[in-house]
Amino acid sequence: MAGMGIARQLLRAPFTVGAVRELAFCLCGVVAGVLDFAVPGVVFGSAYGLATLTGAGRGSAVEPAVTPAALGGVAVALVAMALLAPPIGRALSALHRRLAARLLSIAVDPPTARRPGLRAILSDGPGWRGVAYSLLKLPLSIPQIYAVVCFVGGVVNLSYPLWWGLFRNPPEGVRLSPVPVVTPLGVFDVETYAGTFAAFAAGAAMLLVAPWVAHAAATLDGAVIRRLLAPGSMTQRVRHLEQSRTQVLDDAAATLRRLERDIHDGAQIRLATVALNLGMAAEKLGDSGQPRDLDQARELLALAASGAKDALADLRDLVHGIHPPVLDNGLPDALATLANTSVIPVSLRVDVPVRPAPAIETMAYFCTTELLANATKHSRASHVTVDLVGDGDRLRLHVCDDGVGGADPARGTGLSGLAQRISAADGHLSIASPAGGPTRISVDLPYQP
Amino acid sequence: MRVVIAEDGAMMREGLARLLADRGHSVVAAVGTAEDLLAAVAGLADPADAAIVDIRMPPTHTDEGLRAALDLRRDHPGVGVLVFSQYVETRYATQLLAAGSGGVGYLLKERVANVAEFVDALTRVGTGGTALDPEVVAHLLRASRHSEGLADLTARERQVLALMAEGRSNAGIGEALSITPGVVEKHVASIFGKLDLPPSDADNRRVLAVLRYLQPR
Repeated sequence: MAGMGIARQLLRAPFTVGAVRELAFCLCGVVAGVLDFAVPGVVFGSAYGLATLTGAGRGSAVEPAVTPAALGGVAVALVAMALLAPPIGRALSALHRRLAARLLSIAVDPPTARRPGLRAILSDGPGWRGVAYSLLKLPLSIPQIYAVVCFVGGVVNLSYPLWWGLFRNPPEGVRLSPVPVVTPLGVFDVETYAGTFAAFAAGAAMLLVAPWVAHAAATLDGAVIRRLLAPGSMTQRVRHLEQSRTQVLDDAAATLRRLERDIHDGAQIRLATVALNLGMAAEKLGDSGQPRDLDQARELLALAASGAKDALADLRDLVHGIHPPVLDNGLPDALATLANTSVIPVSLRVDVPVRPAPAIETMAYFCTTELLANATKHSRASHVTVDLVGDGDRLRLHVCDDGVGGADPARGTGLSGLAQRISAADGHLSIASPAGGPTRISVDLPYQP
Repeated sequence: MRVVIAEDGAMMREGLARLLADRGHSVVAAVGTAEDLLAAVAGLADPADAAIVDIRMPPTHTDEGLRAALDLRRDHPGVGVLVFSQYVETRYATQLLAAGSGGVGYLLKERVANVAEFVDALTRVGTGGTALDPEVVAHLLRASRHSEGLADLTARERQVLALMAEGRSNAGIGEALSITPGVVEKHVASIFGKLDLPPSDADNRRVLAVLRYLQPR
């Protein structure tokens, strides 16, 4: 069965959309590769020509190559090349990026715009990397040409038996020269109709091989494109920082909104109700002398007192959510408190001889809170271990439970939100939670955000 | 008075109902959303006199109460609407007043601590008058676009104007400031003179006139 499947895949390979696209990429790549060499060639040639013509009238083709005029021409052409190469490199790499995106579905972010100025042109990393790619395109396009030849040649060879009868009917006695059949392994001649089936077989083989060659060539080219035409690491870092800054700002705004909502719907409304009950109790007691209705006044005061207690509890929870006071003593105390109040038994090990930055401590604390809450809610675990190790450079938190596993950041916003916040602090969250468990979640944070 | 309560906090809702019942008013409906409020008011065979409406209610917890209040004023002008909020939002207050015909109020929730004043304000709203929270009035005065006109007012006249804006009658103002109604009348006339407003006897009309004059830009 498996053999059948593979055979079917081999036979179908030339006709899939992916294969056609890769072949198209190879074909375009060959054309673009020619362009890569034509453009600098034209630039160099015209700069050289212009320089020799205007620089010295004596410059002519018959004179020896090394004349002062020619040397000047070369110098001018080289300067022109140096100045024009990065912008041309950028333009060509934009073309290659688009080809890769359209035909190979390789999405490579464009580099940031070039800064103005002469120095910026000469030190334009993306531009020069574009030039480097253009130079590499020559060797890269060799297997691509090969793939195109296999495909086109394959089709041509397949057709031999079809047209043989139409054109190869010489009168008696006339001998036609043999027809050459081109294959990647060499050329052979065909003289008879029977021979065309050899050509047919070669064509079929080439057609079957073509997509694999194209695939290999395109994959190699794609890897080089990713390496050379993507933005530099600094640019990517800037982008990451921009994204995480947006994330942090959004987060802060959302936190404030949630806080406002919690206060409005919690402590504030409770206190307004307390005021209402106290006002009514005051009514029942009257302004002076004998109370009007002592029993009701007592009941209303009791209501007010319990409302005030609830409001205080609300505020306490809220404050705890903003910044747990115990965190001021450091993570060991804070996590110990957390472990003591956990529903699932927690084994805690904290080894943080040097205190990290306060923001990192807060983040590690809230990661632990959230991961413990997740374990309580979803894992059905009977035991959790929390392990926090800091070496003065990185802070590593491991939260492992013996529950049912299946924690997935794609489902639900909890874990992905956590991952985003951690990433904003240049940290990293990794999750190992196969279905059936156990779940092991690691958070890696820097000491300074 | 027949009163409808729309407030999503259950404790507050029950407290209000009890307070009003204590004072001899009948609470004909107590609901938790703006939608239920509109349905309840429309469904009453014997119409309500007033509705107490929380601004923030489910589902969005933004201003559905205010929008419902405006709808009520438009569709049931006989029902006075007392908007009840934890915040001073002058924009909401002016939106309510812009409808123009009285029978509106805007109070902070903490005003329930003084039961007599609260019920008094509700009664005013239920009988076509206005009731504005002193905080709201203070904000409106601060945001006034006619501050140069207000600058001419004496300190006493400002107090009178503020109380007037809250919706109090001359007698009420006199009581609050411990002055005779005659003196209040003199102050009011002087305020109208300085602010260039034609005098009028109806309480709510003069409040509306004052507030329109005070409306923030």
